[in-house]
Amino acid sequence: MESKYNLKSPAVKRLMKEAAELRDPTEHYHAQPLEDNLFEWHFSVRGPPDSDFDGGVYHGRIVLPPEYPMKPPSIILLTPNGRFEVGKKICLSISGHHPETWQPSWSIRTALIAIIGFMPTKGEGAIGSLDYTPEERRALAKKSQDFCCEACGCSMRTALLAPTSNSNPSREDREAKELARQISFKAESSTSSKASATPEAGGQTPTDIQAEASTSGGQDSAGTAHTEQAEAPSPSVEEAPVAPPAAAGP
Amino acid sequence: MAEEQQQQQQQETVQRDMEGVNCLAHDEAIMAQQDRIQQEIAISNPLVSDRQDLSVLNSEYAQDDTVYQQKIKDLHRKYSCIRKTRPDGNCFYRAFGFSHLESLLDDSKELQRFKAVAAKSKLDLVSQGFTEFTIEDFHNTFMDLIELCEKQSSLGDLLSSFNDQSVSDYVVVYLRLLTSGYLQREHAFFQHFIEGGRTVKEFCQQEVEPMSKESDHIHIIALAKALNISILVEYMDRGEGGAVNNHVFPEGGEPRIFLLYRPGHYDILYK
Repeated sequence: MESKYNLKSPAVKRLMKEAAELRDPTEHYHAQPLEDNLFEWHFSVRGPPDSDFDGGVYHGRIVLPPEYPMKPPSIILLTPNGRFEVGKKICLSISGHHPETWQPSWSIRTALIAIIGFMPTKGEGAIGSLDYTPEERRALAKKSQDFCCEACGCSMRTALLAPTSNSNPSREDREAKELARQISFKAESSTSSKASATPEAGGQTPTDIQAEASTSGGQDSAGTAHTEQAEAPSPSVEEAPVAPPAAAGP
Repeated sequence: MAEEQQQQQQQETVQRDMEGVNCLAHDEAIMAQQDRIQQEIAISNPLVSDRQDLSVLNSEYAQDDTVYQQKIKDLHRKYSCIRKTRPDGNCFYRAFGFSHLESLLDDSKELQRFKAVAAKSKLDLVSQGFTEFTIEDFHNTFMDLIELCEKQSSLGDLLSSFNDQSVSDYVVVYLRLLTSGYLQREHAFFQHFIEGGRTVKEFCQQEVEPMSKESDHIHIIALAKALNISILVEYMDRGEGGAVNNHVFPEGGEPRIFLLYRPGHYDILYK
């Protein structure tokens, strides 16, 4: 990959660094560029343990703009999950749809943690958001393990490290909640039309927030590009996808 | 300045017009509009201009605009030249960065002091929780420019670096990080000046670190203190009195950098 890119380009320099940083899967997330394109990455994230997404591992794409990290990346989920629409750019204020709140010192890791943090929050009709029932989400979480991505060869069963079984929330869990809170706060403080279209953070206790907020300054990366043109690769699901809730019922 | 106000107004208009349309189309329309406005501003304004005689200001206001013409006269008593920056929301940082580095070209003592402060500043940010690998490219670019000044490079070299969008923006990012870092280190003090019930950290994430967010007193004090450089700002607006008012940040300092503020915008002044 090195020979293909201009190493003097700030985006290339930064993305190479991020690829090295994220090379090994953790139990919560993993992301790497596609073999032939440093500006398109695939990621896998584990659903937060204390939620309807517990046990789920979700796969998606990240598309980086040429101006990265000055402009944010775009995030597109490929695994049905009941919270974010599949194949659509996600509308979080961290994503490419709200570039004014993106920070160049954030990274792809920030974006992944934000996604995890956002899963248990309410969709409330925001673009790219879904409000499936807990049962539907739990069924999709189970099913998500069967997903294999044709484009990057990732199987969700082996994409991440096995979760360690302890009852304490990890640093990442807290970070995810904090980021989700921070991002929705931003949306609320921006224009009214945006605020109403943006999910609100939910599901965390105020004490969690305070504890994490006191370690101020820590942030990383995230992003999404609105310049993205490539077609989503067709992911394969080994079994028929679960029907969306609209199709269910009498 | 006028451009920035215009940009805001246009954005608000777009946002109003798009109420009720879905959020994706809405966002994309705003972004397209922002891109267009930014391109227009970019064509007519370099990121940092050449040094110009202060009299260029006279022609920016109508001859019968007595408030401004009087204030420009007042400015002439103290300053001879101006260097303009692009009104893109980053003008304070760019004006500050260029003006200080320019002054280092013939002040090796301050250069050495500043270089040491700048070199150490990354560690301070990392120890506050900023992620090293994401901030180091910005820091490296900043240090490269200080070293450019150390090598007795020409003013032209410095000016062309500041007009290279990616170099120039990386310097702005780093100055924003330094501002944010200082505000957060001194949060107990700055908390009193933040409106809207936000914490200092939230303020930094919304108003300091994102690009294009404009600067106010609080940003200027923080950056001046973070780098221990005194900044004088001359305020020129429609206010009565016929004279420009100035303010030194932090108070009581011996200013090295002189900026002209007109509502929404900063340029560099020279004695």
